[in-house]
Amino acid sequence: MVLLGISVLVFVLLHAISSSPGRAVLGVQASAASVAAFNHAHGYDRPLPLQYLSYLGSLLHGDLGYSYKLNQPVTALLGENAGRSAFLSAVSLVLSVVIAVPLGILQAVKRNTVIDNSLTGLAFVLYSIPAFFLGLVLIEFFSLRLNLLPSEASQATTVLGVVADPVSMILPVVTLTAVSVAAFSRYMRSSALDNLAQDYIRVARAKGLTERQVLSRHLLRNSCLPIITLVGLSLPALLAGNLIVETVFNFPGLGLLFFNSLQKEDYPVLMAYSLIVGVLTVLGNLVADVALAFTDPRIRLH
Amino acid sequence: MSYPLEIENLRTQIRLRHSVVQAVSDLSLHIEAGETLGLVGESGCGKSMTGLSIMGLLPPGGSIVGGSVRVDGRELVGLPEPELQRVRGNEVAMVFQDSMTSLNPTRTIGYQVAEPVRRHLGAGKAEARERALEVLGLVGLPRPAERLDDYPHQLSGGLRQRVLIAMALACGPKVLIADEPTTAMDVTIQSQILHLLDDLKKRLGMAVLLITHDMGVVAGRADRVHVMYAGQLVERAGTTELFDAMAHPYTQGLLASIPQLDQPPASTLYSIPGIPPDLADPPRGCRFAARCPYADARCETEPTLAVTGPARAGAEHEVACWHPVEGPLPRLAAPTPAPSATPTPGPTATARPATEPAPGPATGPQEDERAELVAVTGLVREFPVRSGLFGRSGLSVKAVSDVSFTVRRGETFGLVGESGCGKSTIGRMVVALDRPDRGAVALRGEDLATLGGRPLRRRRRDLQLMFQDPYASLDPRVRVGATLREPLEIQGIGSRREQDRRIRELLAEVGLPGSAVDRYPHEFSGGQRQRIGLARALALSPALIVADEPVSALDVSIRSQVLNLMKRLQATHELSYVVISHDLAVVKYLADRIGVMYLGRLVEVGPAAEIYAAPAHHYTAGLIDSIPVPDPRAERSKPRDGVRGELPSPVHPPSGCRFRTRCPAAQAICAEELPPLRPFGPGHAAACHFPLREPEPDRPAAPVATLATPVTPVTPAGRTTEQTADPSTPDSRRTP
Repeated sequence: MVLLGISVLVFVLLHAISSSPGRAVLGVQASAASVAAFNHAHGYDRPLPLQYLSYLGSLLHGDLGYSYKLNQPVTALLGENAGRSAFLSAVSLVLSVVIAVPLGILQAVKRNTVIDNSLTGLAFVLYSIPAFFLGLVLIEFFSLRLNLLPSEASQATTVLGVVADPVSMILPVVTLTAVSVAAFSRYMRSSALDNLAQDYIRVARAKGLTERQVLSRHLLRNSCLPIITLVGLSLPALLAGNLIVETVFNFPGLGLLFFNSLQKEDYPVLMAYSLIVGVLTVLGNLVADVALAFTDPRIRLH
Repeated sequence: MSYPLEIENLRTQIRLRHSVVQAVSDLSLHIEAGETLGLVGESGCGKSMTGLSIMGLLPPGGSIVGGSVRVDGRELVGLPEPELQRVRGNEVAMVFQDSMTSLNPTRTIGYQVAEPVRRHLGAGKAEARERALEVLGLVGLPRPAERLDDYPHQLSGGLRQRVLIAMALACGPKVLIADEPTTAMDVTIQSQILHLLDDLKKRLGMAVLLITHDMGVVAGRADRVHVMYAGQLVERAGTTELFDAMAHPYTQGLLASIPQLDQPPASTLYSIPGIPPDLADPPRGCRFAARCPYADARCETEPTLAVTGPARAGAEHEVACWHPVEGPLPRLAAPTPAPSATPTPGPTATARPATEPAPGPATGPQEDERAELVAVTGLVREFPVRSGLFGRSGLSVKAVSDVSFTVRRGETFGLVGESGCGKSTIGRMVVALDRPDRGAVALRGEDLATLGGRPLRRRRRDLQLMFQDPYASLDPRVRVGATLREPLEIQGIGSRREQDRRIRELLAEVGLPGSAVDRYPHEFSGGQRQRIGLARALALSPALIVADEPVSALDVSIRSQVLNLMKRLQATHELSYVVISHDLAVVKYLADRIGVMYLGRLVEVGPAAEIYAAPAHHYTAGLIDSIPVPDPRAERSKPRDGVRGELPSPVHPPSGCRFRTRCPAAQAICAEELPPLRPFGPGHAAACHFPLREPEPDRPAAPVATLATPVTPVTPAGRTTEQTADPSTPDSRRTP
C-alpha cells in the first residue's frame, strides 16, 4: 500500500515538473512537431492515469524506464551502481554501530566526567559539520597535505574491485561513518542512561555481579533497542549521505548517478532513485520492526 | 558470638552538588538468625539508605563515612569492591520495592534467578537452572518448570515479587534485606508475600531486615522494631512492647495518623504537623523537636538512646527523647493532644466524645433521607482486545459488568477491590469521561449519556475528579493560580476579579497560603500538591468528587492531613464523594457506604461499619483479613488465610460467580449460576451462594433508594449464568 502511494507521488511530482519529456530529450532546438511526435510515440500524450498504469505495469516487470540521456535502461544503470553504493553504506553503517554502541555506553557509565564531556563535544562537532565539508577537510589533510590517502574513491566497476582497493575507500567511509557515529552515540548515551537508572540494574548489582557483567548482560541489549529502530530509519538517510560523499569522492554509486542525472534533467533516473529511497524507507521500518520483535520479548509478532 | 548482621554507629552521607546530606547518622542495630527486625519511618528518613549501605550499593555521591557493618563477624565497610561483590547476593541479599521495574524485561526469569547461582556458587548452566527451579518452587510460583522461560511481563505483580524473592534467596543468604517489599501491592497479595517472607525466614533461618513505612506490616511480621526519624534511630523495642508502651512522640504520632478499621468515622485523624527536616542541614538537638508537641528548651541538646520505663527483664526498650510519652495515644480519642498538632486551624469538625461507640456513620442508613445524587444502574463497560494485523480479536476485557449503586447528597461511597477490578473505570464513567456500553449514570435523575456538547459541559460542574498522583496530575509549567482559574474560565464563571477572589478562597480552604497563586507545582510537597488538586476539584463547587486513590501516594503523616481536610470540606460543602481505593482502612475511614468489587462485579454493598463488622461475602471477609493491622496481638492471632491466588483474567472471567476460583466455600453451583444480590440488612446486599451470614429471608431486596437495582430475578430455569443488564429496565427513580 505504502509503496503504491510512493509510486503515485513520485510519478505525479515528476510530471508536474516536466510534463513533456520529448522537449527534454530532443532539446530546445527541436521543432514542436517532433516533440509532439516523440511524446506520442512514447505515450506521453495519453491521460495521466493511463500513463501511470503503464508505468506501474512496466515497474512490476522490473522495468524502471529508459534513460534517453545515457541511452540505457534505468534498471541496468541502477544495477551497475547499486552494488557499490550498498557496499559503501553497509560498511559505514556497520562501523558506526560497532563504534557508537560501546561509545554511548562508556559515556553513560562515565557520565559528566571529562571523557563524557569531550566525547559529547566531539559528537556535536561532527554532527553539525556538513558531510561535504568534512570530506573536503579530510581530502585536504590526508591526500593533499600528507599525501597518505588518495583523494578519489575506487573507480572499480565491480563491488569486488572496490573491495580489492580498500585504501581508496578509507576517506569516503570515514566521512560517512563520522556523521552517523555522532548521531547514534548520542542516542545510545541517553538510552543507556535511562536504563542505568532502572531498578533492574540495581538488582543486578545486588546479585553481586561484576560491573562488567551488569553492563554486558543487563544494560547492553536493553539500551540497543532504540538504536535498532534508529538504524532502520536511517537507511534512506544513509543513501542521501551517499549522494554527497559519492559526489565529493567521485565514487560511481547511486548517489553520483542521481547527482549527474539531476544536472542533466534525466527524469526516468530521478524517478527511479526517488522510488528506491521510498522503498528503502519502508524496508528500513520493516527490518527495524522485525529485528525489534526478535530482541525485545515484550513485542510479539502475531 | 557474632550476629548475622551487626551495624555499629553507621554514618552515611550523600554528596550532592551544593550540599552533603546526612542520610544515616550513628545508627546501630543487630539481627539474630531467624529474626525479623522492622525498620520503620517516613520516606526520606534514611531507612532505605541503611539497607543500601549494608549492600554497598549507595547511589552516586553516597558513601559510608563512619561506623561498621558486619556480616557474621566480617567487616564490610572498607572492603574492596571485588570482595563486596562476592558478599552481595551471596551472604546478604536484598529485595526491592518495585517488582515491575526490578526485573530485566528482556531476560527470562529462569536466567535472572540462575544468575547469582552461577556467579557465586560456580554452578554450570544446567545446575544453576536446576537451583532456579528449586527456589522458584520454594517461593510458591505455580508450575515453576513451565515458567522458567517466561519473561517478566508475562507474570502478574505478585508473581514477579515472588521471582524477586527467589532471586535473593538463590544462594541461601544469611541476611535478607526487604525494602518495602509489598508497598503498592494489593492487600491480598501483600498478605501472601509477607506470609511467604515469614515462612522462608523460619525455614531457612535467615536474619531479615524489613524496611517499611507501614506500622501494620511490622506489627505482624517483626520480632523487634526500630523507628527511624531524620536519619537517626529514635526508638527501639520488641514489637509488642513498642506497640503497647511506645515512648517517643514520633512513634506515637506515626501510629495515630493511620486510619484504623475501628476508628470512628466522625473522629479527626491525628496528624504530625510540619514536614521532616532537610538532612543537608539537620537541626541541632532533637531532630523531631520542631514537630513535637512536647518540645522545650531541653530538646536543643541531642537526646541519646536510653533505656526507658520500667526496665523489664528481656525487654530492651530504648528511646531518644527528653519527654518520653507513655504508650500509644488513646485509640478512640478524637481530639488531638496538642492544639499545635492540628495542621489546619479553623473550623475543624468538632470531634465526638471518645466514648461514642464505633459503628455507625454520622447518619445511619435507616434514617438517611438525604436526596439521591447519582444513580448508577446496570453499568457495563468492555474494552475490545486488539491483536494481530486486523485489530479485532472478538475478545474483550470485561472491566465492569452490571454494576449498580447510588450516592446520596453529602454521602461518601467507597469502592474497594484489588487493582484491575474495574473501580477506576466506574469512576471515569461516573464523571462522564467514559461512556458505558450498557446501563446508565444518572445525575439527579438525568442520564449523563443522553447529554452532549454544551449541556454536558455544564453538568461537569457538578462532577469533579481528584487524582492519585499529585506529581502527574498538575501541569508542571502552569502556575497554581492558573490551574485553579482554568475550570472557572472554561465554565465562564465570574469576572477576572471574582475569579481571583475565588482562587484565594479555595487556597485558604485547603490550607495553603495565598502566595501559592504565583508558584509552580514543583515548589510544593506531595501533600500540598494533593491539596491543590482538591482545590481544583472544588473550584466549581461540585456536588460530587470522585477521588481515585486520593492518598495512596502520600506518606502516612501527610495522608492523615489530607484525609482530615477531605472530611472537613465534605461537612462544610455538603459534598458527595466516591472514594476509590485499594486501601480498605482509608475507605472505611471516609466512607458511609461501601461497594466491594471483584473482577468487574459488585459483590457486596452496604453501610461501611456493617460491612467491616459482619461481611457476608467471602471476598470481602478475605480482603478485610488481609489488611495489616497495627496491633501485634491482633495481627498475629489472625487466621492467615486472606484471599488465595491471583485475580483471573478479565478477558475470560470464571463462569457463574467470578470469585469462585479463589473462594474457600465454592461448590458446583458457583460455577453454574451467577449468585444474585441478596439482602443482609437495611441497605446491605451481597452476591454469594454460600454467604457468611444468613440472608434476610423475606424482605424485598432492600429499599430501592439504597440499592440501585432490584435483584435481578432468577429465570425460571434458574440458570442465569451471565446476567445481562437490560438498559430498557424501567427505572422508577428516573421518572419525575
